[in-house]
Amino acid sequence: MDNVYTRSKDIALIEILDRVLDKGVVISGDIVISVADVDLIYVGLKVLLSSVETMNRLKWAEVPCPESPGNL
Amino acid sequence: MKIYSYCIIDSKERIGDGHIRGLNGAPVYNIPYRDMGIVVSNLNGDIKDLTKSHLLEHENVVEMLMKNFTVLPLRSGALFNREEEVLHVMEKFYGDFRSNLDRLINKVEFGIKIIWSGDNIRGEILKDHASSSHFLAATKDSPGKMFIMGKFEKYKIERALKEKAEICIAFADNFLNRFAFEKKLEKLISTNLLLNAFYLVDKERQRDFKEAFELLRIAPDNFKYLFSGPWPPYNFIRMGE
Repeated sequence: MDNVYTRSKDIALIEILDRVLDKGVVISGDIVISVADVDLIYVGLKVLLSSVETMNRLKWAEVPCPESPGNL
Repeated sequence: MKIYSYCIIDSKERIGDGHIRGLNGAPVYNIPYRDMGIVVSNLNGDIKDLTKSHLLEHENVVEMLMKNFTVLPLRSGALFNREEEVLHVMEKFYGDFRSNLDRLINKVEFGIKIIWSGDNIRGEILKDHASSSHFLAATKDSPGKMFIMGKFEKYKIERALKEKAEICIAFADNFLNRFAFEKKLEKLISTNLLLNAFYLVDKERQRDFKEAFELLRIAPDNFKYLFSGPWPPYNFIRMGE
């Protein structure tokens, strides 16, 4: 059963980046900053955006699909 | 020095005694606010860009804390200048944080991706459709009408594909939903990605959920499954409701 949970490094990394970059509580949004009057810094926005784009390109391009069609 | 934030936890107590390390190896600590806290680490110097290793360190801290606390993971990249600013955010959004912590207590997230041969299945539908329909072949109408009819045929094929996808997704969801507290299903977001699903599961029911997935995985459907988790509940946080 272990092989089910052992993913390739690329897939695992995508799963992590997908969450860390794109999900979770956002406290750096404009609304939060203006409401809370906090001078909050958002690090590396360009790199993050670039990472997201790269991730989206990679996301399914390298995932092989099954050879035969589903038979449900 | 700046303060980098990782997650909100349902505890105002000290954590880790410096054993949990965050960005650039700095020890993480808890800044308490009322009955919860925000886990942070100090960041010396400037970081202009977050690297892949920073993101992995961020996730590692959240996952370590998830073992002992209910966590609300923060999206990576937020830096504060002072602790007063951190507390200001906690004060403003205490209600949101509290309701999420209450809802997500002892819950973890699992990710399931189901990949099918969308192109092949579309091809089969097309073949079936062509053999049963003499719609276009028998028509000698104007190019305009032919164009519209062609569009309509394409629409019918896509609709048939979606109907087949819905049946397959319902089949899979029937296995997994029994042990899920909440779920998010993203259907057919690309031709071959039949389902990108997130399930929120009670920590005590993880084994049941994994067993349900195993039953699904051995079902004779020729699909490929990608299973991940348990994760902090990144996909189930609701702010501003």
